[in-house]
Amino acid sequence: MLRIALAQIAPRLGALDENLARHHELIEEARAGGAGLVVFPELGLTGYQLQDLAAEVAMRLDDARLATLAAATRGLSATVSFVEESGDHRLFIAAALMEDGEIRHVHRKVFLPTYGLFDERRFFAAGDVVRATPSRLGVGVGIAICEDFWHLQTPQLLALDGAQLLLNVSSSPGRDLAARNDVGLGTATSWRTLMRTYAQLTTSFVVFVNRVGVDESITFWGGSEVIAPSGEPLFSAPLFDEGLHLVDVNLDDVRRERIALPLLRDERLELQARELGRIISERAGFATDSTAEPGAEPGLDVAARAPEEPIRLRSRRR
Amino acid sequence: MSAARPLPVDDAGRPLFELPDELAIDTDVARRVIAGFIRGQLLQAGFERCVLGLSGGIDSGLVAYLVSEAIGADKLLCVLMPYRTSSPASRADAEAIVADLGCASELVEITAMVDGYFGEDGAMGAGGESVREATPLRRGNFMARMRMAILYDRSVAFGGLVVGTGNKTESLIGYTTLFGDNACAFNPIGDLYKSQVRQMAAAIGVPRQVIAKAPSADLWPDQTDEDEGAFSYPLLDRILYWRIDRRRNTDELVAMGFDRALVERVERLVATSEFKRQVPPIAKLGPRTAGVDYLYPRRRPGSSRS
Repeated sequence: MLRIALAQIAPRLGALDENLARHHELIEEARAGGAGLVVFPELGLTGYQLQDLAAEVAMRLDDARLATLAAATRGLSATVSFVEESGDHRLFIAAALMEDGEIRHVHRKVFLPTYGLFDERRFFAAGDVVRATPSRLGVGVGIAICEDFWHLQTPQLLALDGAQLLLNVSSSPGRDLAARNDVGLGTATSWRTLMRTYAQLTTSFVVFVNRVGVDESITFWGGSEVIAPSGEPLFSAPLFDEGLHLVDVNLDDVRRERIALPLLRDERLELQARELGRIISERAGFATDSTAEPGAEPGLDVAARAPEEPIRLRSRRR
Repeated sequence: MSAARPLPVDDAGRPLFELPDELAIDTDVARRVIAGFIRGQLLQAGFERCVLGLSGGIDSGLVAYLVSEAIGADKLLCVLMPYRTSSPASRADAEAIVADLGCASELVEITAMVDGYFGEDGAMGAGGESVREATPLRRGNFMARMRMAILYDRSVAFGGLVVGTGNKTESLIGYTTLFGDNACAFNPIGDLYKSQVRQMAAAIGVPRQVIAKAPSADLWPDQTDEDEGAFSYPLLDRILYWRIDRRRNTDELVAMGFDRALVERVERLVATSEFKRQVPPIAKLGPRTAGVDYLYPRRRPGSSRS
């Protein structure tokens, strides 16, 4: 049995010291509540809409404040998120797994949305690595940050790399208010669909921790969740309210689910790698594209043509 | 699934307003978001109170209720700023809202300020001879800017932030006065179409007569938005929603059944009013320029006044 504490907090934008203090408080509260794992949201130490403030709140991994926070994790695990400045002065949106007083693993956000209301790539560098990490919890942990989960490959790679517990830490802005969605918010409906699907397809626990509160125009909707490896939601936190939520999970459910539904066992890694290799070569123009329309330029699957012109399928290979 | 509430009806059982299906929102969620937004803006700015101009219309009425819900009516000052030709019914409606909420209110007539500039009854105003025959547009803009000046003055005395009361529809078509009624510290309803303002107003308990009456800028007697613009709000809202929020182009809107001439007119209104929705551009000269490559949150540690 593992008791997970979901720290659905409202960080103060740019107020690093204040947010650090809040993290320390909640780690102690979670410990007192018997939690073995505490999960904080994306950029919980800094707030989200930082823009040029990002450089001013960035910390290197050897920062004393992170060491002090890590020291507070003796006897438990915590995932905290902040702006990391690398040795070569790139700024990453990072989430660290801290355990027993030290930083065990750091995930740097790979997918930085730069569209719609997002402008992350302007201010941050993209991480290049998706890796699961062993943990004191006895299962592999896979950490992803918000948009990382809007790409199928992230949960899949983490699960294939050994994660049985997928953690997504988010600062998801609520939007697309409508009466037709199950919680009145399009964003929440989409996320819930994704998380249930990933839990089921990776036969892993999915823990989603999303912040609340307001940065500038945007309101973060919370709704943190724990989903079982069967895709069943075990817990859904209220929307918009701050809170530390304790959720008990039985990690043996992963084994049960993976025996009953051996999807991960049956994944065809070599097939995927081979086909991806082909697509990469074709996109780069290094190989003839065997699935492209006639007349398509190297790297593009579809030929340039007027919309009314009919698509003619090629009868034989070039 | 959030339960759809029936629309409020008049004494004859007819709906008070038309709410197109695609514009219906979950008003409970919207109220939660807006209340948190209002509290968040005040917190970040280091203020506890709000000031707004209450006309007696549905937009400012709804905002008064939303602010009261977010921070309590005791922290809200509503300023009533009628001109001599303003509708007495509007003032009565504004007073009914103040009484219902139990918030503070002040009456500041703008007649002397406006007539002092434009002149009155043959007497020359401060604006001189040339403004005597000013168009209703000029007079209306001037009134809106006098109200803005009063609100910002009262905001200092009351220690509150000026809350915007403009809706998404009027902002998109440019039916606002730049630095007048669109001037504010923050706007809680600026992303709600008029139809959604009505839905929210009904849900939060704005008096029924305020919801039911024809929207008007009340800049001259018997003016109504829909007469002046020759449109109906539900139709205009739908065109804007599909054009902007759902990215449909003109041909697609026409194929959906909208009148091409109306769609094209709405597109012109949106395009010609873009300047009213944006911060004025600064000539780029130095290494870092506000709004261009000096990009900070409006509020950060150190920007709170308290």
